[in-house]
Amino acid sequence: MRGSTILLVDDEKVFTSNMSKLLTSRGYRVSAVNDGDSAIRALQENSYDVVVLDLKMPGMDGITTLKEVKKLGLFTETLILTGHGSIDTALDALKLGAYDYLTKPCEIDDLVEKIEGAWKKKDREEQRDMQQKIQKVVESPSAAFTLFGRKKDKKKA
Amino acid sequence: MRRNDKRPTHINKSNGEGKGKPYYARLYRRFVWTTLTCSLAPLLLVGWGIYAHYSAFARDKMLNSFRTQVDNHRKMIELFLKEHRSRLQLIAETQSVDFLQRQRNLENAFRIINQGEDSFTDLGVIDENGRHLAYVGPYHLIDKNYSQAFWFKTVMDKGIYISDMFLGFRKVPHFIIAVSRPEGNHKWILRGTINTEAFRSLVEKVRIGRTGEVFLLNEQGIFQTSPRFSGHIMEKAAFPVKNAHAGIQVHDLKAGNEDTEHRFPRQILARVWLEEPRWMLVVKQDYAEAFEEMNHANIITLIFIHLSALILLFATLLSTRYMVNVIKKRDQEADHLNRQLLQTGKMASVGELSAGVAHEINNPLAIILTERQILLDSVAQTPSLDREFKDQLLASLSQIDTQVHRCKHLTQNLLRFSRRTKSVVEPVSINPFLEEVVELMEREAGANGIRFLTELEENLPSILSDPSQLQQLFLNLITNAIDAHDGKPYGRVRIHTRARNDSGVEAVIADAGCGIRPEHLDKIFDPFFTTKSVGKGTGLGLSICYAIVRRLGGTIEVESEPGTGTTFTLFFPFKPPQDLEGRLREPENDTGGIPDERIDHTVGG
Repeated sequence: MRGSTILLVDDEKVFTSNMSKLLTSRGYRVSAVNDGDSAIRALQENSYDVVVLDLKMPGMDGITTLKEVKKLGLFTETLILTGHGSIDTALDALKLGAYDYLTKPCEIDDLVEKIEGAWKKKDREEQRDMQQKIQKVVESPSAAFTLFGRKKDKKKA
Repeated sequence: MRRNDKRPTHINKSNGEGKGKPYYARLYRRFVWTTLTCSLAPLLLVGWGIYAHYSAFARDKMLNSFRTQVDNHRKMIELFLKEHRSRLQLIAETQSVDFLQRQRNLENAFRIINQGEDSFTDLGVIDENGRHLAYVGPYHLIDKNYSQAFWFKTVMDKGIYISDMFLGFRKVPHFIIAVSRPEGNHKWILRGTINTEAFRSLVEKVRIGRTGEVFLLNEQGIFQTSPRFSGHIMEKAAFPVKNAHAGIQVHDLKAGNEDTEHRFPRQILARVWLEEPRWMLVVKQDYAEAFEEMNHANIITLIFIHLSALILLFATLLSTRYMVNVIKKRDQEADHLNRQLLQTGKMASVGELSAGVAHEINNPLAIILTERQILLDSVAQTPSLDREFKDQLLASLSQIDTQVHRCKHLTQNLLRFSRRTKSVVEPVSINPFLEEVVELMEREAGANGIRFLTELEENLPSILSDPSQLQQLFLNLITNAIDAHDGKPYGRVRIHTRARNDSGVEAVIADAGCGIRPEHLDKIFDPFFTTKSVGKGTGLGLSICYAIVRRLGGTIEVESEPGTGTTFTLFFPFKPPQDLEGRLREPENDTGGIPDERIDHTVGG
């Protein structure tokens, strides 16, 4: 959906810069970082609808980054975009809760399609979560404090 | 693949390069010589040694026995003569001439001295003038006068005489024993003639076999008895009598020796002089007959020795051949294993490399694609572009896309070759599976004039395997089979399946294409080896096949005759290797949520 926020995580600067241009021109709001740590920081500071994550990166690799992202408990879907040969790794990423994966090189249209799919899923989950919270407020008005809280607060509750 | 050689070849032929026929022939010869030297030489040495020693020993023994026999015979003849002389002496000493000259008395005396043996032929009493006083015998000699006879003079002189053989008045060979006795002032003589026949049989009464003869010679070399072969009585013998010394002489006469007159075989001969008269006893026998028993024993010994040697020789040849064949087989197996190990190792390292290279290429490719997309976007957003330039730009961008996809196809093939992916293992029935693949390929094959001939064994048992990998495998092989007919107007691909024992299933894909050159056979499974023209093949098809078959625990063998065709024989075990199975089950359990298309999408790309 136009206006969705996307975080690109890839150690190839040229790639992130090009991809940013392409996605921006397709109506997305795109931020790009080049390593896992920056990605986590970016997610802590801003909210993003979809994270497009490379698996093979220096420093914190894609899988670890994904785990960290999941720990944050955000309403963010992660899409794996990798040039790595090991499909096992991609499958591991799926097991860890990534939405889907694509192999490099890929057409921009394919990527957009996946991003849309990811956004829809994220949106559905957000909606469902919202409904559950409203339900809770209806049942117990004190729960209204957590209405705009994060997923992890909900878990604590 | 271009295939145009004449020689039929097989990739699994493993005659051990550098260990060809000459090597095993040499090994065979070396083993045979060593074994024979160590076994035959001692056997023959011992055998021949024993044979030579025994022969010499037996020969000495035989000659001694011969010597003893001849000596005994001499003694017997001497005894005979001595005894008959004594009989005459006894009569002469005990009776007077008056008594004996009476015919009846002489007849009595004759009977007594003969003792029923007929060893005397006749007996006569002769006075000192040589006239017969009385005579008993078959001849009419009563009126004969012996005063001039040599024997008469000798006996008158010496008192006793044993004559040589002579004819005398009776004109028959005979010899006499005569004793003279003085009586008063006169002498008279008692003379007996020895029965020639009886004496001859006495002389010949010695074991001489079929070839032997025995005779007596006097000092002048005249036969005193009739020899069996060498002549007649009273004849001069062609036999030297000069060695008139005492004792027995035994000679080994070589064949054709001058001592023999007409006879040529090797002979042994013994001669010994009698004391009285001076006759020489000669005993001859063919060497072969004399040593018959010994020779027989020797021949048997030799036969046994050589038979043993022959058996040893055959046993050595057979056992060595067997041994060399075993070694050859072991070498071939080792060679085969080495090749497999080499191929596996090569594949593994190429796999690692491929995965790395593919990844490194994919990233730049991704960037190229994004650059292309940016350009495309820019073109779309710039309506004022020169039309010609725009067309050129779009054509170039399209070509960039084509080439990037070509590279992507290559990297995906590389990844497929080296893939360590989790797939699905399930029971696969090879026959319907192959029929599906054939159906899939039939359109392409038909366009090239190629027919499929399928001989699928009925009730072929299912195998546990990964269908997607099998599909890839068969697609690659059948595509290759179709490509092998390149340049031929028509062709056929024969696909054949059957169960192999209880271990698995065999599938054969045979084309009638142009075949593979022998020098290419060892390389066809190597990644990037191709004889197709540039752009037509990546050289990964068969490498992927090889990798898949190995992963599924099977084997792939190729036989090819350039110009005639190529046959790939695949074998799949009923169950894949444990490690593969373990890995294959994982996704089913752990990634239950992942739709199959995703795997196919990524793997099949």
